[in-house]
Amino acid sequence: MIGATTSTAVPVAWLVARAAGLTALALLSASLWLGLAMSVRLLPPRRQKSLMGWHQTLMWCGLSMVALHGIALLLDPVMHFSIAVVLVPGLAPWRPLAVSAGVVTAWLMLALASSFHVRRRITQRRWRLIHYSGFAAFALALGHGLTAGTDLRGTTGLLVAGGLAAPIVWLVYARILVPRAQPARRQATPGTA
Amino acid sequence: MMRSVWATLMSVWLLFAVIAVLAWTRQQPAPTQSPLVVVKGKNGTQTLVPATASPTTHATTRTSPVPAG
Repeated sequence: MIGATTSTAVPVAWLVARAAGLTALALLSASLWLGLAMSVRLLPPRRQKSLMGWHQTLMWCGLSMVALHGIALLLDPVMHFSIAVVLVPGLAPWRPLAVSAGVVTAWLMLALASSFHVRRRITQRRWRLIHYSGFAAFALALGHGLTAGTDLRGTTGLLVAGGLAAPIVWLVYARILVPRAQPARRQATPGTA
Repeated sequence: MMRSVWATLMSVWLLFAVIAVLAWTRQQPAPTQSPLVVVKGKNGTQTLVPATASPTTHATTRTSPVPAG
């Protein structure tokens, strides 16, 4: 049985929803860190292909956790979320802005994960544009976790947010400062972040 | 292929770990701080022993029937 009807029963769906949300945030962050680390050539360039694979796989795993997060919320007997609320931003009766941030994050993650498979069919500019939405997805996910979530409140929430965002800020800073390799000199793979 | 398997396993384990932590932190048993009692030994040594509270309910033995009405 999923969910809880009495206060003494273990709210399985609620626990799974929270855990899946936190795991999705961790995986999204890890994927973003990896992409940025590859972009600033912090990691060995000869392993670029393997790292790119991890970057992609982590994003898909994060998206799977987001799906689990949504399914668990649908099954939760307390929240009473419908499929429309989970899929369409702005329909949630409970904290609509915070929930919408989560829904938009899910769609952005789907776009990001799918973009890996259509990379050859779209232009480099479009690929980059889609990939830059990873920052928006991260910011929205963090905002969703801090405002809608019950586990990232107070000092703990700020510490977790800082711990996840600090490497991204640092890597973006490094990305801006570190000059890009000239494409004519080396036959490197195109940018990833 | 192997990468996907490893990533999936890692994600599932991470999920289970977070569920375990959340479930663990959900249970908040009331801390029962029993008072300590100094027990003096025969040779003059003193040891601190937590005093166990007597059970609040006792088994009663009914010797007479309950008066009706």
